[in-house]
Amino acid sequence: MALCRGAGLLLRTLLPGNPLLFPAACRTQSSVSGVLVPRTSLTSPPWPEQLPPVCEAEDARRQAAVVSTVNGSIERQDYGRLFAVVHFASRQWKVTGEDLILIENHLEAGCGETIRMEKVLLVGAEDFTLVGRPLLGRDLVRVEATVIEKTESWPKVHMRFWKRHRYQRKMIIVQPQTVLRINSIELAPRLS
Amino acid sequence: MVFLSLSCWIRSRGPDRYWKVQDIVKNAKHFRGRKNRCYKLAVKAVRRAFVYATKGRRLKKRYMRTLWISRIAAASREHGMKYPVLMHNLTKSSVQLNRHVISNLAITEPRSFLSLAKVARARQQEGFRAALGDGKEPVGVFSRVVLLQ
Repeated sequence: MALCRGAGLLLRTLLPGNPLLFPAACRTQSSVSGVLVPRTSLTSPPWPEQLPPVCEAEDARRQAAVVSTVNGSIERQDYGRLFAVVHFASRQWKVTGEDLILIENHLEAGCGETIRMEKVLLVGAEDFTLVGRPLLGRDLVRVEATVIEKTESWPKVHMRFWKRHRYQRKMIIVQPQTVLRINSIELAPRLS
Repeated sequence: MVFLSLSCWIRSRGPDRYWKVQDIVKNAKHFRGRKNRCYKLAVKAVRRAFVYATKGRRLKKRYMRTLWISRIAAASREHGMKYPVLMHNLTKSSVQLNRHVISNLAITEPRSFLSLAKVARARQQEGFRAALGDGKEPVGVFSRVVLLQ
């Protein structure tokens, strides 16, 4: 202590047992006092120690308010453009009205026929989103599309080649394609 | 005097060599150097190009998925969550949107992405509440937690 009196202010932080030594220190066990351990990523569990308290009445009130707002908006039809996420032809498409979709396989419908897409996963407008778990009800959303064109893809080359083995195979793959135009997405005024 | 054996000496050595060569060279017209003109070089270059295209079609699916995942991770970090937490909680809440669509929403529909992040966060809190409960050990169990209380 006598040696460091000249620079007492600077060296005060080197005193042992001072809490300023390791600002983010903690003890190994709260029952043992003395040894301080630096705080690492594994000092405390990754979940929060104190979860925010749940008030079920408050939650129910908020949910009722949200549902009534969205229901009112749907009934008045004052949302703008709707978009929907539709599961079709083993793919998910984010779709709006007047969209064109190219599907890489053959559909049984003929050109000009209307198709209704039933597996709707999500519908959104500017102010609200309806998320399905996993699908939205059939009587809630209606997505309609028309078949515009049924063609074949450009001839893709599938070539295999092993060097020094005199092996090469060339195949030309032409896949049927269908073009759909999404006519409309409609919401029915019914939510709970 | 008619030379009858003259016509036997004239043979057609394949009338369509030009078109067979053009079939291959037309695929190489946008290459650099002599391989866009000369058949011997073009054959090798076109074969490599076709093989790379075939392999690339399989790799493209992997790259696209990695891209979607990194986009979703970036967007979820903007809302204070991590990618694995978001996806795991969305699956647990039985929301079956794929990474393609979620990355699309993160770019074009930020408010819908925020609502998905909130769904995942709520499910995470529910999970913690179910796991941690009161923070007390069940009755009859004697452990460090009980000692410290």
